[in-house]
Amino acid sequence: MSNILEATFALLIFPGGAAALALGLFLKGIDRRVAARLQRRVGPPLIQPALDILKLCTKETLIPTTANEAAFILAPVLGLAGVLVTAALMPIGGVWSGVTGLGDLLLLLYLLPIPAMAFMVAGSASSSPYGALGFSREMAIMFAYEMPLIAAFLACGARAGGVGEAAMSLQTIMNYQYANGPLLFDPVMLPALAAMIIFIPGTMSVGLFDIPEAEPEVIEGPLLEYSGPLLAAFNLMSAVKLVIVLELVVALFWPNPLGSSVIVNLIWHVAKCLILMLVTVTCFRVSTGRLRLEQGFTVFVKYAAPLALVSLGLASILR
Amino acid sequence: MFKSLGSLVTRSPWIYRLNAGSCNGCDVEMATTALIPRYDVERLGCKYCGSPRHADIVLISGPLTLRVRDKVLRVFDEIPHPKVTVAVGVCPVTGGAFRDSYTCDTALDQYINLDVIVPGCPPRPQAIIEGIAKALEVWKERMEEGACSRS
Repeated sequence: MSNILEATFALLIFPGGAAALALGLFLKGIDRRVAARLQRRVGPPLIQPALDILKLCTKETLIPTTANEAAFILAPVLGLAGVLVTAALMPIGGVWSGVTGLGDLLLLLYLLPIPAMAFMVAGSASSSPYGALGFSREMAIMFAYEMPLIAAFLACGARAGGVGEAAMSLQTIMNYQYANGPLLFDPVMLPALAAMIIFIPGTMSVGLFDIPEAEPEVIEGPLLEYSGPLLAAFNLMSAVKLVIVLELVVALFWPNPLGSSVIVNLIWHVAKCLILMLVTVTCFRVSTGRLRLEQGFTVFVKYAAPLALVSLGLASILR
Repeated sequence: MFKSLGSLVTRSPWIYRLNAGSCNGCDVEMATTALIPRYDVERLGCKYCGSPRHADIVLISGPLTLRVRDKVLRVFDEIPHPKVTVAVGVCPVTGGAFRDSYTCDTALDQYINLDVIVPGCPPRPQAIIEGIAKALEVWKERMEEGACSRS
């Protein structure tokens, strides 16, 4: 019984559900504010993303007559549900252990593409040519950025695992770091960290990799036909996706808590996510333009994936 | 419910530009002077959107030429309610420099209800921003009246 209560609490309030939504909207607010400051503007208030969501909920929902109505409505709903479940599974160093058990990294590998899948379904269901273009771009770039992600997972697992085995469990990787210091300061893991830092803007579609939603090219692609609460669901999905991607990198490379106090650890965790976001999302997107699809593909296949593989090789040899 | 939300909701206006056969003068003022870092309308929560389905405030420029008339009306219909229209420049109201042209038949406000009019040929960026601020008041009034459904 207590297990069910605990799981419900984790899904609905903390760390998934309400807490993940609040953290996602907070990070998005900081992102827009800092981006504005970097461009010498004042920028919107911190609660702007929340105001946007509220506004969208009072708007009319329009569904194109040629669209597949069921898929059009279900795509954002299932996408949001998927990222909220994933957020409940993410471990927070010293606060929440996340899902424990063998192979939770594999589970995350299956859960992480859900927002991208929701995007693809939305793009193809909306029956708009721009949606279809966004769909094909999202799919192509996803194949490219999954490669360094998997290689970096394996590298961390190989570093943390015993002789002749790779730990496919986040908990084992985190325990290894509690004992031997964070992988962030491990020279063997630096290439994998670089690959993950390229992966974050790739999966969030910002800066160089703003390819599937490119506003001047495909008019936000799959989002083009969405309005009202369904668009709000997509915005929330993107905010929670930002949270889970940042939390994943923090868990893989720097999960170490500051002390034994839960509050301090939570603030420390949010601070780490914030720093990571400012570097990989905010500064990155205000200082770079957009690549063409095949150029973006090349970055992941030619640079990010080999970097992660170098780490994997070194971690397998030097144990 | 909408009554109490009015003041919060109007802090997130998303802007869509609709060119009804404009000479591009007003579009240049909108795109490159009024809504760039120098005047920073994002501090009001404004965001440019590429899709009419995301829009709250529509900035219309141009005298509504015959060639684009049906398309402009179609795009205007794609914008979800509640929406507020701002006419930028004198063209949407009187036809401006094109008033006797064979390419325009009648003024835009015969087809679309214009809530705020920003006169000028082209108007100054400050005037366009003031027009957006006035549009926010119109939007707020509508939210308080509860007149948010399709009219």
